Amino acid sequence: MVAYLIRRVLGMILLLFLLSLTVFFLFNMLPGDPARLTCGKACSPQIIEANRHRLGLDEPPLTQYTKFITGIFAGRTFSPDSPQPIECPAPCLGYSFLRRETVGSLIARSAPVTFWLAVGAFLLWLLMGISLGIYAALHRGRWQDRLVMGVSLVGYSLPSFFFGLVLIFFVIIKMGWLPFPDYVSPFENPVQFFQTMILPWIVLAILYAAFYMRLTRNQVLEVLNDDYVRTARSKGLPERVVVVKHALRAGLTPIVTSAGLDLAGLLGGAIISENIFSLPGLGSLAVTSVINADLPVITGLTLLTAGLIIFMNLIVDLLYAVIDPRVRVA
Amino acid sequence: MVRSSPGLLRALTAGVAAALVLAACGTNTTSSGPSGGSGGTTGQGQPGGTIFILSQAEQWDQVDPQRAYTGEDLAFFGATIYRSLVAYKYSADPVEGTSLVPDLATDLGTHNDDATQWSFTLRDGATFQDGSPVTCEDVKYGTSRTFATDVINQGPTYQIAYLDIPTDKDGSSAYKGPYKKTGQDLYDKAVTCDGNTITFNLNKPVPDFNYTTTLGFSPVPKDADTGETYGDNPVSSGPYQIDSYETGNGGKMILVRNPNWNKDSDTYRKAYPDRWEVDFGIDPKVMDQRLMQSTGDDATAIQYGNVQPENLATIFTDPKTTAPQFAGRATSDYDPYSLYLWVNVQKVPNVKIRQAMAVALDRQALRLNAGGAFAGDLADGVIKPNIGQDYAPTGMWTDMFGQAVPDNGDPELAKKLIQDSGEAAPTVQYDYPQTPTNDKSAAIVKDSLEKAGFTVKPNPIEPGVYYSVVFDPKKAGEFGSGGWGADWPNASTVIPPLFTQKGGWDLSEVDDPDFNAQVEDAQTELDRAAQAKKWQDLNKLAMQNVYVIPTRFGLTQTIAGDKVQPTYQWPAYGSWPYAEMYVTQ
Amino acid sequence: MIPATATQERPFLTVNDLSVAFPTEDGLVRAVDGVSFTLEKGKTLAVVGESGSGKSVTAQAVMGLINRKAAHIGGEIWLDGQDLLAMTPAEVQDLRGNELAMIFQDPMSSLHPFYRIGDQIIEAIRVHRKISKAAARQETLDMLRHVGIPAVERRIDAYPHQLSGGMRQRVMIAMALINSPQLLIADEPTTALDVTVQAQILELIQRLQGEFGTTVILITHDLGIVADVADDVAVMYGGRIVEKASTGILYDQPEMPYTLGLLSSIPRMDRALTDRLDPIKGNPPSPINLPKGCVFQPRCKYWEMVPNGECKTVRPELLPSGPDHLVRCLLPTETRHQIARDVMQNLSGAVK
Repeated sequence: MVAYLIRRVLGMILLLFLLSLTVFFLFNMLPGDPARLTCGKACSPQIIEANRHRLGLDEPPLTQYTKFITGIFAGRTFSPDSPQPIECPAPCLGYSFLRRETVGSLIARSAPVTFWLAVGAFLLWLLMGISLGIYAALHRGRWQDRLVMGVSLVGYSLPSFFFGLVLIFFVIIKMGWLPFPDYVSPFENPVQFFQTMILPWIVLAILYAAFYMRLTRNQVLEVLNDDYVRTARSKGLPERVVVVKHALRAGLTPIVTSAGLDLAGLLGGAIISENIFSLPGLGSLAVTSVINADLPVITGLTLLTAGLIIFMNLIVDLLYAVIDPRVRVA
Repeated sequence: MVRSSPGLLRALTAGVAAALVLAACGTNTTSSGPSGGSGGTTGQGQPGGTIFILSQAEQWDQVDPQRAYTGEDLAFFGATIYRSLVAYKYSADPVEGTSLVPDLATDLGTHNDDATQWSFTLRDGATFQDGSPVTCEDVKYGTSRTFATDVINQGPTYQIAYLDIPTDKDGSSAYKGPYKKTGQDLYDKAVTCDGNTITFNLNKPVPDFNYTTTLGFSPVPKDADTGETYGDNPVSSGPYQIDSYETGNGGKMILVRNPNWNKDSDTYRKAYPDRWEVDFGIDPKVMDQRLMQSTGDDATAIQYGNVQPENLATIFTDPKTTAPQFAGRATSDYDPYSLYLWVNVQKVPNVKIRQAMAVALDRQALRLNAGGAFAGDLADGVIKPNIGQDYAPTGMWTDMFGQAVPDNGDPELAKKLIQDSGEAAPTVQYDYPQTPTNDKSAAIVKDSLEKAGFTVKPNPIEPGVYYSVVFDPKKAGEFGSGGWGADWPNASTVIPPLFTQKGGWDLSEVDDPDFNAQVEDAQTELDRAAQAKKWQDLNKLAMQNVYVIPTRFGLTQTIAGDKVQPTYQWPAYGSWPYAEMYVTQ
Repeated sequence: MIPATATQERPFLTVNDLSVAFPTEDGLVRAVDGVSFTLEKGKTLAVVGESGSGKSVTAQAVMGLINRKAAHIGGEIWLDGQDLLAMTPAEVQDLRGNELAMIFQDPMSSLHPFYRIGDQIIEAIRVHRKISKAAARQETLDMLRHVGIPAVERRIDAYPHQLSGGMRQRVMIAMALINSPQLLIADEPTTALDVTVQAQILELIQRLQGEFGTTVILITHDLGIVADVADDVAVMYGGRIVEKASTGILYDQPEMPYTLGLLSSIPRMDRALTDRLDPIKGNPPSPINLPKGCVFQPRCKYWEMVPNGECKTVRPELLPSGPDHLVRCLLPTETRHQIARDVMQNLSGAVK
């Protein structure tokens, strides 16, 4: 098991390294000259050149990449000609001249917001999705099933920006039940934290729960026909135990896979919800950076998101082993 | 003005170069005027309270006084933390609102006979936030920072263009700024301090140089200058200072009073509220609803951005009139921009072909797609009426091409012009920053030009990199979407940047010696009225040559809460009149 | 007259006119239609038929495993004086795994792949009896040992995939018998196993039946394994019993053409390799569109011997044909006997 883990982690690092290389050179080939973009009015060739130097783009791409990688381990200094240059300590993922902040600090500032948003929504949607999915499965074909599936269809097709706006208008602006979203850390002000997060959690949870309702229902229905479920019934187990302990656990694998990848995706940023609710998370950071062609931030976020997905895949694989003894490594 | 501010999404997606200062004098016929005539300056200003600014943007474009260049940056920080030699008067009136008043200087500056030397005398008693006096040396130092182009970028560069400092072989200034100090003696000769009087020696006559000093001539104490990061911790010379600043979605900037601001030295700023709070990253739809509702803190909030199209009909009865329930707190007025399609004259050298393109274009459909009458008026040039005396109708659509051209284009006339050109109708690539609205615009461009026989290849470009692509001669197409706003009320900030190689925004790649000579002549004309005539003629000439196809003079709508006054669009920057605003009881 | 109590009069298990039908989008699936039989305590009944004949549904109806909301169930199932079909689902659930137990065809898929076998058996104990985990574990160990699993101390914590097929079926049997059921239903218990293991499992069931006095219903499609095990045999076809007799009679004097077909298709050690099996031609009828007459008629070689083509129009009844012998066939008794004799002779004629 330990050897397996080490192998996986080494593989992850190699993958990230290759990815960084790809991302770096891919972004280098994009149309548009960053030095021109952040130049200014009356942008003479001389000023563009000075700006290129300031951004470190006057060096060959390979040198730039080497500096990027070196920066991760040893830190870097930006804008060397400034009387007070910018120090970017290791692990340095780069510096956004646009935001005037290191990529690391931008991510460190945004990541907790997205983390809480994702985890809260995740727990909520798993709870809703799985319990309603089971409920629908147990009432297959009857009105309870149709109701849950109808709700799921609505939730699935409800654009989250629309749903989010409706919630803001009614709950905050019209009714005044909640103050305007203003993110604080849960450790700093738990009440305000919950007041800020509850609506985005609901919006995201309903969006995702819709899918998990269907998935769980279908999984449970499929597994309910399996032989070992019949065995469990023939033992005289109560239906609740049959469904939860025997059927659900067996049908859990695809749910865990989806949940892991959905969580990984969400941890990379929930763009629409973050923007509607003014949450300073990774999603809004990503959007702003793409709109402004802020390459250092985009590179950093791409690597982070990829790393998250790779990491989540590992977690999902480990969870498989916990769920299913057959895949455990001897 | 070249680059779009990160937050100015609207400007970006409209394909507009980020805006700047604007001027308006005289004939602002279309504009609704201050708050559609119903808003304005009811009651007397009183100190106290907090004014909130709700912003869709996630940060100010630039806080550094030498790097700030968008209208909102200049208007807000000029009202709160930076003083400059002279400033624009606060007034809703298009003429008054773009006229200069002294700020740090005792007057509007004096110049020698040929306007190659300008002097300003600083008034006594002005202080920085640490209590130290603002000296001539501080203005001189601040001005010098622009020359450090490898650190201080994105700001205005008129200092480099106008100050009498020789250039190196590669065309860059021999002075490399206060950090490297290369050529410091050259700068010290060009800008001199004599007691409280600062003198600028220019490399050519600049009759409107005092307007120039509103851009990047603010004082910076040398000891506090951290270079790249100065904007994070700038030293205030105005009535407020930065208490905290966090960028990003949900971020905030909070300004509190500067205890060392000497009110007696500053007749320009009223400094009514105790506090300013800028809330970043507010969803524009949410923002509109909050401001329309105007409850709690939102009652003293103002909008940084525009009313969303779907709310226009609620807030306004027409582009000139505010609906009764929002009277006195919504504005609909010219923004600083002229919108156009640039035509690359190197790639479309035949003027008849360019004229055919202009004549064929369905400008009415383009405006409808952008929002109809609320989006602005059909344009007849790049000089916008709110600039004042430099505007005169060009007659582009009435008689310039021998007959009137309807707003929806005239394919038959276009075909005739193509025939006259002696060439076949070419295939032309149309560049534009890709957004859903711009996709539709591109389809309109394609349809209307193809009716005249052109073949149009739309080329959508990622909005974030649009301008850096179209400024690359190898990548740019035959024509594309663009926009421009004047830096101050003189077309010297419109015609030269757009149509000369030195100007910096010459998307049309115009490089005509005769045109250049006329521009040079107009720039150095000391008689303002004569100068205005020259700009009018050059605007007309540029249209005759179809360097661009003008499409729209932009109009912008904004809204404020019901407990903040005065609410009008300040013509100088197309912004709220920040330094006059107060919270009502 | 003294009224007799039901328990005294009725045999241990009485299934009376059982019918099970599932409504589907294509129509009503009549899986079981009018099945009746009785079984004395301690005896073994083999129910034989092809897949789709209704034998497994019959077994599941007895076990109460058919969802009453998803099916129409008619008739009566009396077990030891109680009508299972009149009981609430909760009451039947109490009986399941306790009085009634079942083992299934594929021991791999019938054991939950994610739980240790010991835990699965302990769960079966503790759902019916309030005893400590330790005691349940001890009981499980004893039972596993009893069904012939070696090294039980180690195996009890194994997962199903770590055991061989035969071992798994022994585990299933241990689990079924752990609460000393009165009735054990074995649904194709050997089908998924190697031939050598099949015999061991059957022997085990028989041995345990003797020890515990369990009544057994053995469900199989293979008449070949029935002879040594069952006291009675019921042959099912198209949701009905078509022939029922004591084992000896059925093997010696089968009458129904379907039974004859089944007997002909038994692989036998004493048959020549060249002499291919003689399976019944055609497919079982669709349970939605059963033939109007005899459900076996479309596959029957002899139906034309019945006058007026009655096999196509008249549903035959299950009628006595001798002591302990019921047959559902329209052929005249004499003709039936004649055909049976020919077929049986043919079969034995193949013997070298």
